[in-house]
Amino acid sequence: MNRKKGDKGFESPRPYKLTHQVVCINNINFQRKSVVGYVELTIFPTVANLNRIKLNSKQCRIYRVRVNDLEAAFIYNDPTLEVCHHESKQRNLNYFSNAYAAAVSAVDPDAGNGELCIKVPSELWKHVDELKVLKVHINFSLDQPKGGLHFVVPNMEGSMAERGAHVFSCGYQNSTRFWFPCVDSYSELCTWKLEYTVDAAMVAVSNGDLVETVYTHDMRKKTFHYMLTIPTAASNISLAIGPFEILVDPYMHEVTHFCLPQLLPLLKHTTSYLHEVFEFYEEILTCRYPYSCFKTVFIDEAYVEVAAYASMSIFSTNLLHSAMIIDETPLTRRCLAQALAQQFFGCFISRMSWSDEWVLKGISGYIYGLWMKKTFGVNEYRHWIKQELDQIVAYELKTGGVLLHPIFGGGKEKDNPASHLHFSIKHPHTLSWEYYTMFQCKAHLVMRLIENRISMEFMLQVFNKLLSLASTASSQKFQSHMWSQMLVSTSGFLKSISNVSGKDIQPLIKQWVDQSGVVKFYGSFAFNRKRNVLELEIKQDYTSPGTQKYVGPLKVTVQELDGSFNHTLQIEENSLKHDIPCHSKSRRNKKKKIPLMNGEEVDMDLSAMDADSPLLWIRIDPDMSVLRKVEFEQSDFMWQYQLRYERDVVAQEEAILALEKFPTPASRLALTDILEQEQCFYRVRMLACFCLAKIANSMVSTWTGPPAMKSLFTRMFCCKTCPNIVKTNNFMNFQSYFLQKTMPVAMALLRDVHNLCPKEVLMFILDLIKYNDNRKNKFSDNYYRAELIDALANSVTPAVSVNNEVRTLDNLNPDVRLILEEITRFLNMEKLLPSYRHTITVSCLKAIRVLQKNGHVPSDPALFKSYAEYGHFVDVRIAALEAVVDYTKVDRSYEELQWLLTMVQNDPVPYIRHKILDMLTKNPPFTKNMESPLCNEALVDQLWKLMNSGTSHDWRLRCGAVDLYFTLFGLSRPSCLPLPELGLVLNLKEKKAVLNPTIIPESVASNQEPVNTTNNHGQLVGFQNTFSNSQEEEEIDMDTVHDSQAFIYHHLNMLERPSTPGKEQSSGEMNMHPVSAAPLSVFSKESNSSKHSDHHHHHHHEHKKKKKKHKHKHKHKHKHDNKEKEKDPFAFSNSPASARSIRSPSLSD
Amino acid sequence: RSGSKHATTPADNYYLARRRTLQVVVSSLLTEAGFESAEKAAVETLTEMLQSYISEIGRSAKSYCEHTARTQPTLSDIVVTLVEMGFNVETLPAYAKRSQRMVITAPPVTNQPVTPKALTAGQNKPHPSHIPGHFPEFPDPHTYIKTPTYREPVSDYQVLREKAASQRRDVERALTRFMAKTGETQSLFKDDVSTFPLIAARPFTVPYLTALLPSELEMQQMEETDSSEQDDQTDTENLPLHMSTDDSGPEKENTSVLQQNTSLSGSRNGEENMIDNPYLRPVKKPKIRRKK
Repeated sequence: MNRKKGDKGFESPRPYKLTHQVVCINNINFQRKSVVGYVELTIFPTVANLNRIKLNSKQCRIYRVRVNDLEAAFIYNDPTLEVCHHESKQRNLNYFSNAYAAAVSAVDPDAGNGELCIKVPSELWKHVDELKVLKVHINFSLDQPKGGLHFVVPNMEGSMAERGAHVFSCGYQNSTRFWFPCVDSYSELCTWKLEYTVDAAMVAVSNGDLVETVYTHDMRKKTFHYMLTIPTAASNISLAIGPFEILVDPYMHEVTHFCLPQLLPLLKHTTSYLHEVFEFYEEILTCRYPYSCFKTVFIDEAYVEVAAYASMSIFSTNLLHSAMIIDETPLTRRCLAQALAQQFFGCFISRMSWSDEWVLKGISGYIYGLWMKKTFGVNEYRHWIKQELDQIVAYELKTGGVLLHPIFGGGKEKDNPASHLHFSIKHPHTLSWEYYTMFQCKAHLVMRLIENRISMEFMLQVFNKLLSLASTASSQKFQSHMWSQMLVSTSGFLKSISNVSGKDIQPLIKQWVDQSGVVKFYGSFAFNRKRNVLELEIKQDYTSPGTQKYVGPLKVTVQELDGSFNHTLQIEENSLKHDIPCHSKSRRNKKKKIPLMNGEEVDMDLSAMDADSPLLWIRIDPDMSVLRKVEFEQSDFMWQYQLRYERDVVAQEEAILALEKFPTPASRLALTDILEQEQCFYRVRMLACFCLAKIANSMVSTWTGPPAMKSLFTRMFCCKTCPNIVKTNNFMNFQSYFLQKTMPVAMALLRDVHNLCPKEVLMFILDLIKYNDNRKNKFSDNYYRAELIDALANSVTPAVSVNNEVRTLDNLNPDVRLILEEITRFLNMEKLLPSYRHTITVSCLKAIRVLQKNGHVPSDPALFKSYAEYGHFVDVRIAALEAVVDYTKVDRSYEELQWLLTMVQNDPVPYIRHKILDMLTKNPPFTKNMESPLCNEALVDQLWKLMNSGTSHDWRLRCGAVDLYFTLFGLSRPSCLPLPELGLVLNLKEKKAVLNPTIIPESVASNQEPVNTTNNHGQLVGFQNTFSNSQEEEEIDMDTVHDSQAFIYHHLNMLERPSTPGKEQSSGEMNMHPVSAAPLSVFSKESNSSKHSDHHHHHHHEHKKKKKKHKHKHKHKHKHDNKEKEKDPFAFSNSPASARSIRSPSLSD
Repeated sequence: RSGSKHATTPADNYYLARRRTLQVVVSSLLTEAGFESAEKAAVETLTEMLQSYISEIGRSAKSYCEHTARTQPTLSDIVVTLVEMGFNVETLPAYAKRSQRMVITAPPVTNQPVTPKALTAGQNKPHPSHIPGHFPEFPDPHTYIKTPTYREPVSDYQVLREKAASQRRDVERALTRFMAKTGETQSLFKDDVSTFPLIAARPFTVPYLTALLPSELEMQQMEETDSSEQDDQTDTENLPLHMSTDDSGPEKENTSVLQQNTSLSGSRNGEENMIDNPYLRPVKKPKIRRKK
């Protein structure tokens, strides 16, 4: 927000510079889940009249604040605790989102704000005026933290260490304020001293170097002393305490791994690969790992799978695996590599502001991609890029765009760059989690586009430059002004690029970074035989949401008989048609090999192609150098050639998807050939399985021979002598392992003419299960067996129901009986011999839900609810919860919805809470345009409460609740609510304010800041009363004159106006504003700081301007509202008075 | 009673005969005492009492004789017994010679059933010289001689696989059914809880341990795949699997890979002693700080 474009240096939003912070946690009580400690911040004022220091702190109970050993008064106010005050009857999301963004702004460290405001004692003012150092000492404690620090305390006998109890810091973006007071910004760097006193049986892992470990005097505890000399942002500070097993990396002794008791063998195996990742990054970045040590900690109930902090990463313990597990290995390695990439960019190099986040995410994602390419090969890399591209394209088209570099001009906050979204993108904490995931995805794809433009060599040079600047700066121990070199900004990054490469990438940045949206191409072609020219037509859709117009070069690759040729077309405003001259004559030479793009020459059977045309296939943007979706039309044989002979896996995958529309024997043959080709990339072959199943279903009446893939599977995986029996498992060849897993799943999707799964296929799958024999296998077959159950589930078709009879055992379909038999056995065996990550239970639960949904088994959530309880493995819980969510939707069960929402509030595991909301959003019980018995006022109130105040301890969860609210009710007032009559009557009196409830929220939103600096003093006390004990109240009483005035004022005000500002505004009375503003200005006069009042006036001024802008916008919104309400006659009938008022805006218009 | 079914066994016959005799005795004593008739139940009870009495005499007498390290009871044992049981032995001769006593004919003695001669198979082995002659003879050779027979192993791969599969399935089904029967269950159908019984889901205190650590069976398998290369002769269970030729190849690789792993970890252990890592350093004793 404060970043000035083109400005090289970093301007701190704070009137001081933090240089060093001590965090000391003296006591951690696992039983009570509490923490006691203090912090000491060393700050240098940068302005003379610094009299208030704003820090971030959430949920901490602050006992005492001292500045240079003098007691200091402080005020604690956190508007994010309750975004809208609960007397408010506002229920529209627009209102909430604005208020929430304002609340987050009000405490945003990047805007110089904070929840904790400390008054510098007047004795020190002179000291401050000389810009001398201040030491702020804060004693605090945390009791049962709901966010930021997560305690895992298994409920069993024994000491905490024996139980494996542990605690770790977690959160989304800058969440360090949840566990100690700090400047919770990525841009405020300082050095750290961290001390943790823990039980002697425990280990405390934190950032920086462990200097020493010392016993306490009673020898029952020990203190871990850490020093972090590299300047680091508070947001990158982390902690994990538990009875960890310690493993020093055998290859790199500076690296230490930690895991929970009993898991050491898994830890050894899992981390045995890490040194290679280190080597890779250090080599490409030509830079040593910046910290002197690295720690990995694997903990239970993780918030996210991977969390990177300065010199340490916290992983989910579920990433650990033994050597027998195939499927998890690449996933875990990817997580490790990701974490390590973020050590360089994200931890060591931090960002100036939120709008520069994309650079860090982009670079770390990009170098992680390079590692993928090297480790898993080009095919896997390209497949991944394609996957990410498809994802971001789908998301942007769905939601209307992801903006990497939002710019928020100082005064014009109203022209929100993301008005299509139901949340503000101004802060990371208001962002939907899905949006943030997609944001990261887009960031690394854009980095790749930059690489395409300036070459990888330059790209790496830029990274190296950033890193070496930062490491020079970091070694300047006492020159904290140099530390801003360790912060990356968009402009700085772009400048580096232009310095290093000498290329101008501004258009590229403008297109993909400063602007949201993706490109949608539609391509078709005709071959002009006379001119021997390919007439290519490329259209764009740039009007639908989430799209943008593309102008610039576009690569097209044409495979002709004589070879493959690249053409670069210039996409311009009005040109749709492009003529591309062909090289080959259509008369084809006999028996001549056809050269491919990669220089290979192959024999092709050309009988399928058009005799007049030399074109084999055409690809648009083969290198994925535009963020786009391409829909290209070419004939089926061209897709088939592309599938068979194009060597690029992305092209093959595209061809497979296209062939779904061409269910012909030729497509069948092409797919079967691919399936059989061992040189072919295994993911392509897996995809071909599913396509083949679809084609077979489309061709069901003409299909000849055994069911698709059956003979193929038999040939590949069954015994030579007895083809009905599968070979004993041997998964040494991973490619065929994956194919063996996938084929039955795809086969189960086959349907006969009655739309049932052929009996033959079902028997075949049952035989696979029966004869599955893993005794001689080096690897576990749990994933394979799980997929066989998935296959069984896939084979299920809806039950033929005779006049809605009740599902009982007697009328169970015999095939289903067989399936159920297997599921029962598998699920029961899992209790005796559990599989890795309980994959089999997960599949069984899913299969049971499928049976229920298809009407074979009575629909009942009880089973799933028991598996969803706390104490089951997280994957099992998620699968069970997914089934309950689905049940809630299908059976419209209010009870289950309540059960889920209760869990969202009460479950001990943050990830589960988040996931429930996520699943409810993805599979909602109803949506805004749907009539549902579930949609009622109580639910609205409940969800409102959840996002308003129930989730203040977890940004991610709150945003998840917002997402759900949006999915269920949309942006405006939920249709099931009666219209707010009182407000509207008042509005009728005063024609200016006409209806529109949104008018007030926004003015409140913009008003929030000044209100916070002044008026809220009164309110603050209120907060404090609820949040602190009497001790603090005393401190308030001790406050200096004007604060006590504020206190008195507040009380008077309370009598005068029983309502809080929130309520008053909600009633929609504009005329109340001057009333509330008058005492405000009186107060501000009294407050001694001239600077503050200045500030205040400034804001008011601004506020007026904003109001004007508002009106304009309102009209617009207003119409929208109107339309929506007209759609809904229900609302009218509810309150005729309000119906009249709805029409009233037209008068004002 | 089990005797009612198999009344034909010799022991039962004796038992019944004795019982009959005793009944006659009781009846005659009753007649002697002047009864004309008696209820069957009364006779039964008296018979029972008499039998108990006689049995007790026998048991006691046997104990006395065994107490003096003999095997055959003598008259004195009987006398002591009777005395011990509170019976006046002196009165016995007089009672035996009383005039009105009735004489009961001795029960007919059936021939002792001839124990059939044990089937002798082969020649009993004579004692070797170091075993004294009074020791019992060797039993028949067939009781201790091992005659290995080589049954042609079932070589049909298909049959073996089928057998293994159905065996495993049966075991699993039986086991899970048993577990389901003995513990709490859940059911998919409200009207039927027994056809598809699901063992109830029970939360763990530490759920990740079971989910992540390889199960015992898997560990065992790992070991088996390790060792099977060395002695596949003894393990008949493994035999059929080695017949499918495509299995033997990769296993060799398996073991070599595993060996590599172990050697690696071994060398690592050696190194660890020299590693300077802050987490491995000993914890320091607290400094005694002088108070400021």
